[in-house]
Amino acid sequence: MRSYGIYVLTRFAQFLLVVFIGISLTFFITHLSPIDPVEQMIAGMTAMGQSDPEAVALMRTALQELYGTGGPLMEQYFAYWGRILSADFGPSLSSFPTPVSTLISRALPWTVGLLFTCTVISWVLGNLLGGLAGYFRESRMLKLAGVIVMGFHPVPYYIIAFVLLIIFGLMWPVLPTSGGAAANLPRGWNAEYVLSVLRHSILPAVSIVLVGLGGWFMGMRALVSNVVTEDYVTYAELGGVRRSRILPFYVIRNALVPQVTGLAMSLGAIFNGAIIVEFVFGYPGLGRLLISAVYAGDYGLVLGVTTISIVAVSAAVFLIDILYPVFDPRVKLA
Amino acid sequence: MLGRLTLAVLASAVLFSAAASGQEVPRHQNLIVENPNGTIANPDWFNIWTPAGNLNQPTGLHQLAMDTFWYIDPDHGLEGVWDNSLASEPPIYNDDFTQMTVRLRKGIYWSDGVEFTADDVVFTAETHMKTDGLVRSAVYQLNVESVEAPDPYTVVFNLKRPNSRFHSLFTVRWNAAWIMPKHIFEGKDPLTFNFNPPVSLGAYTLHSYDPNGQWFTWEKRDDWERTTLARFGEPGPQYVTYVDPGPPDRRVIAQMNHELDIIHDVSPEGMFTLARDAPSSIAWFDGFPYAHPDPTLPALLFNHQHEKFQSRDVRWALALAIDIKAVAMASYRGAATISAIQIPPTGTHPDYYHIPLGEWLSKFEIDTGKQVIRPYDPTIGQQIAEMLRPSMGDAIPSEPDKIMRAFGAGWWKQDLEAAAQLMEKAGFTRRGNDWYMPNGERFTIRLMVEGDGRPVMTRAGTMVAQQWRDFGVDVTVENAQAAFFTRRNGGDFEVAISWSVETWGGHPDLSFFLDSWHSDFVVPAGEVQSPRNWQRWSSPELDKIIEQIREVEFDDPKGIELGHEFVKLMVEEMPTIPLMAYNVFTVMDTTYWTGYPTADDPYTNPVPNWANSRYMMVRLRPTQE
Repeated sequence: MRSYGIYVLTRFAQFLLVVFIGISLTFFITHLSPIDPVEQMIAGMTAMGQSDPEAVALMRTALQELYGTGGPLMEQYFAYWGRILSADFGPSLSSFPTPVSTLISRALPWTVGLLFTCTVISWVLGNLLGGLAGYFRESRMLKLAGVIVMGFHPVPYYIIAFVLLIIFGLMWPVLPTSGGAAANLPRGWNAEYVLSVLRHSILPAVSIVLVGLGGWFMGMRALVSNVVTEDYVTYAELGGVRRSRILPFYVIRNALVPQVTGLAMSLGAIFNGAIIVEFVFGYPGLGRLLISAVYAGDYGLVLGVTTISIVAVSAAVFLIDILYPVFDPRVKLA
Repeated sequence: MLGRLTLAVLASAVLFSAAASGQEVPRHQNLIVENPNGTIANPDWFNIWTPAGNLNQPTGLHQLAMDTFWYIDPDHGLEGVWDNSLASEPPIYNDDFTQMTVRLRKGIYWSDGVEFTADDVVFTAETHMKTDGLVRSAVYQLNVESVEAPDPYTVVFNLKRPNSRFHSLFTVRWNAAWIMPKHIFEGKDPLTFNFNPPVSLGAYTLHSYDPNGQWFTWEKRDDWERTTLARFGEPGPQYVTYVDPGPPDRRVIAQMNHELDIIHDVSPEGMFTLARDAPSSIAWFDGFPYAHPDPTLPALLFNHQHEKFQSRDVRWALALAIDIKAVAMASYRGAATISAIQIPPTGTHPDYYHIPLGEWLSKFEIDTGKQVIRPYDPTIGQQIAEMLRPSMGDAIPSEPDKIMRAFGAGWWKQDLEAAAQLMEKAGFTRRGNDWYMPNGERFTIRLMVEGDGRPVMTRAGTMVAQQWRDFGVDVTVENAQAAFFTRRNGGDFEVAISWSVETWGGHPDLSFFLDSWHSDFVVPAGEVQSPRNWQRWSSPELDKIIEQIREVEFDDPKGIELGHEFVKLMVEEMPTIPLMAYNVFTVMDTTYWTGYPTADDPYTNPVPNWANSRYMMVRLRPTQE
């Protein structure tokens, strides 16, 4: 038990180190970017309107003071850590003075709702089909399913998204192709709105699930193919245990451990958003927010989104690391 | 199990979203318009006077809810290009342009029932004068000594220095300084107040919006007759919704499904698809090139703080190495409106500049050192039209005047021999096909383009680079992407494809962009240049023209003469190479609405993110009652 405690502490220290390095790297990359948020803002304000050079020069000074972008880099770096430790990402520069946390909190539920569901659906379906295909290797139906799933796997998901857009947006327009819900519907817990949210999520979800399925399918099929050759499986079959019991309890259960790790990491990564799908289908998630922040040079917002992602992925890995020895006795503590 | 899980997760997304009540908006009463700024990250923010409000203004905020003293239409206007909006007459200056008096309209009301008066104007000016960081704080602070209201319908601005164009601060081209409601902003911090819900001075007021920023719906005010737009009749649409319809392909699909009445802009290919497959869709021109030419002039901007572009002969050689027909095909697939001079070929400008200067351009000569040439070819617009006629058929106009207005007049004919002679005259030498500078180094050019954010101009830049390479210049195309503006403003480029010329469009006065080209405003290399002289070109002759323009009144015909002098100086010096108008493929669906502005009825600009597009509302009529 003592060795497990040391193991957890070591892993926790690694978690903190990864978070520290990840956030620091993101900070310096964004601040060393050639995109200056003040110049981006000025370009937007003067693109088609006012252009008095003296006034713009004054405006530049005023914005630098307002945004706090004029100070030394290291001073800004320590200030940022100070804010993070007090759970505050500061104001968004492009939406000043609105806090970054407000912008993220608007987009986060949509991204989490869509990607969490899609990740879980692809994981369950991929593993189920992969497990069956690995165990019943002679089944024609499962071979066909394998061909279909593997056929979609290498296709970039934005290609699938565009194909779905053309089919269901133009040729057979039965599904909404843009937004998170229909415009001008009263928001809240009413059937019309919830159904609208579901209908709007179908095409983005299908494009993500179709592509994501293949990876889980391939992994599980390969794992099951190995497990079925293990002695305990052969012994169970010789002992007359029913195959419907062998598959879930002897084969898939043992093959599932690495897939659970993958699931945890995928769930952590959903905080990046699905940028292209969100753009194609006008879905109001974090991916769109992140891209607009990059283009605006909005360091605060970029850092806010990436910090959440870094912490989520690292936390998922940390949790898996500390749970592994608990549910898989084959994992030994060093 | 999974279905229930899905439902639960998605429903929780709803729970986390901020609530905004909305009501059913009948489609046949709702004009649905693209907001080119896309999904708005901070949709609760309606304070248009702050920098953050700048991103939110084309959500209908500045088109439908704001107002100011005057508007200049980029096309012909409902009753002329100049419109006295909140002002009842044009600006009244004293003799030395140190005081501007504005007479206000009576009977104009904010949407909450409070009357608009001079107090709102004084409050707006004084708020800007004492607050740093608002979009137009600096302009007020630099110009206004004091502001007073001798009566509720008169405002007097006392200026710190003579400024014959001070009224341009309150004159809408794309936008302008909007008037604040004193009774709402008084006692609030103008930098942090979100102005939600906005109190409107326009004919519409906010109906509802998406808390995630994808759409904003505005509803016609019951008392629309108490707004300035009412002078032109009742606005047609009961509702106007500005939406983010997604990427260009999605916009085309949405309009084909009649879900999007006005596309702000789409790719040339998308435009051609709609022209072919969507019979209810119309554009500015009935046929090719379809697009509305904005009063903006994309050009090749030389960075004049680089030694290699100091010679006029080199700049002219690079102009003569360009085949503009190929550039028009590469950028807009032919749907371009070219301009040989540094004035956009749009609105009333052809009548003020391109046509009157045609003869001078035809006689303009360049001495290459070995021959004297007349580089202007007045038939290039016609040649582009003829190139396209076999494939586009009836979509190509046949009348010369229509061709000139659609494709532009002439341009500089590609003349590689003369270009080579000019390079040699400038001391350059050619080894094989490669040019070397007088210092013996290879003549290289880094040509900066914007990339995905401006695909049409990127295509144009890539074609120019190819032509200059063929001429023997070692050209590298730099795709600056989002860093484009920072680099352009900072002078971190050699040649950029961008625009430093933007005009009123409908009015011939050039001060809108030209005043900023004065050498007083050119900063040393390494410092950030303020708009719009991105090319950092200084010229005593130009300074003289600018100073003379400052001394004449806005409507004085002498301004046009000085504009002609500017054009001639630009042609002689070629500090930037003008290419074409910034053509915008605005496409309008006539399924639910009719009365859109077109080249045949150019009563305003159809491009819907311009504040002037409010004038469209009074001419649009529903097809179904």
